[in-house]
Amino acid sequence: MSINGVAEHPNAEILTLYSAGDLPLALRLRIGRHVRFCAACEQQVLSMQSAKAELRREAQSQVLTGFEAIADWQTLESDMLGNIRVGVAASRCIENVGRGRRFGFRFAWAAGMATLFAAGWIARVPADDSQRIVTALRRVVGLEQSPFNGTVLRSTPDGISVKTQSATLTILHPQSAVISMSGPSAVTARYVDDDSGQVTITNVYGQ
Amino acid sequence: MSTANKLRFAWGLLVVLVLTPALLTAASSDDKGNWLAVQFPHDSPVISVGFNMGPSTAMARGSSMVIDLHAGLVLRNVGTKPICGLTLRVEAQDLSPHGKGSVLKPSLFVMPGEEFPVKVDMQLVRPIAAARSEVAMVQVTLDCALFSDLKTYGPDKLNSKRTLLVYEMEARRDRQFLARLLDSGRIPELREELNYGIQDFIPRQLGLELLRGPHVTTLREQSVNVNPVNFPKGPVQPLSGAAQVAGNEVRSPRVDIRNVSKLIVSSVAMGWIVRDEHGTEFVAGALTSPLKIGPVQTSFISEPGTLRFSLPNGQPMVIDRLMTFVNDVEFADGNIWIPSRDDIDSATQDHTLRRELASSPEEQRLANIYRREGTDGLRKELKRVSLSNQHPN
Repeated sequence: MSINGVAEHPNAEILTLYSAGDLPLALRLRIGRHVRFCAACEQQVLSMQSAKAELRREAQSQVLTGFEAIADWQTLESDMLGNIRVGVAASRCIENVGRGRRFGFRFAWAAGMATLFAAGWIARVPADDSQRIVTALRRVVGLEQSPFNGTVLRSTPDGISVKTQSATLTILHPQSAVISMSGPSAVTARYVDDDSGQVTITNVYGQ
Repeated sequence: MSTANKLRFAWGLLVVLVLTPALLTAASSDDKGNWLAVQFPHDSPVISVGFNMGPSTAMARGSSMVIDLHAGLVLRNVGTKPICGLTLRVEAQDLSPHGKGSVLKPSLFVMPGEEFPVKVDMQLVRPIAAARSEVAMVQVTLDCALFSDLKTYGPDKLNSKRTLLVYEMEARRDRQFLARLLDSGRIPELREELNYGIQDFIPRQLGLELLRGPHVTTLREQSVNVNPVNFPKGPVQPLSGAAQVAGNEVRSPRVDIRNVSKLIVSSVAMGWIVRDEHGTEFVAGALTSPLKIGPVQTSFISEPGTLRFSLPNGQPMVIDRLMTFVNDVEFADGNIWIPSRDDIDSATQDHTLRRELASSPEEQRLANIYRREGTDGLRKELKRVSLSNQHPN
């Protein structure tokens, strides 16, 4: 089917669907405008409508005596083909609707599993491990240039830690602790122990 | 599956479900005894007379085993002299030989025969697949004990003898200063010195990372001057300094110093002050460098590592300015110099900076007593410590 403009004659299938009122609204308006100004097409449409009315009448009376009255077999063929295509198009539409719903279900399932995985990861996998994996991925894609192979001393609100390739030791302290360096390779936390009133100074060393 | 097979399968599943937690519990209780060991030398002036693991736990997280250790020790001074300070070395076999920790107790004043508690709270994260060993995962032992006569005992593998000595000298300085204020009735000054008895709930602290080993950053580096804070009567004077700063990282800080005393210097600890973009200053700590400097000689101190600073909330700190001062000096004869209160007062007019320079563990402890017990409690404590130090050795 190619209806690119009013001046172009619609083909027989389009006219058949038009005559039966099976076209979409926009196309129906365009074809209707053409048919009003084109005597040949108008004649064709009238002929189709007439034949269809005759068939309906014959069907109702269960006597196909007017079979011979259908002079234009091509018109009937166009009507059938047009209806078949409409049916095929409709089934495709229905198929797409189902596909969209299935896709939605799949997406929701995948999103749920991803959320569950992320929650499990956050709850169960230590930050150190996560950081290690992120760092490794960054190195793979080239976002991180050089791996750091030494010892890392770090302070957090809960403690000071020394981290090597294989393990991490964190000496814990209250949040009131004051953090500082101590020596060329040590980090210190200082606080007053509430129970004993003693000053406690913790250190981690990386050598 | 036949009914018999179904019953067999269900029975097997039940056995597995019942036995697995029991086996895991048994394994973990076996491990708990092997988590931490406390060992002191046979001739140690302190011994452990009580030990409990409290609410220590172990759990698997990802591919790692997280062991929370909350050990409570009760130690006894079995020597003949009062103990003023103590360092316990904490070693984990998984970190050896590169990493270790310590718990240091300055300002103790434990008389012979007396007992005192020490808490060790820590967390060890190690791979589950790590090889098991007969040795405890974490070992606690004595590194150094400091007596009231400033003599020490212990292997001093962590160079904690010097640290304990510096803390003790600062403690004596601050006790004298506060006693002087009390005796002369300068109570307003005393109150100001001890922060009016107000607890500093949000101390001016910073996050710190010290990176040792090769490290490359993509941030643009710029060379900045390090401004020296001079104690006019100090034996070593910082002359100038420079460092490479990239964002919140300081690399290769270097300070030129001169020995203006008549003694040979064997090591110098330089204190570092970092000022952020808002003008807030933080004493980042002190870096001790062993170096021999003769009288009137000039030398330099440099640190090959990278220091990374962050605010307490974890945000990177933009470094605006770096300052340095001589925190303490050790001479070849073993004596140690620390800045006096007068030195600190004459070094700067900035009240906040002066306060940071004068901050010591002992002042923190005495401020805590003043906050709880007021002037009377402080006076009583100063008297008690004074008597401890007069104990015949």
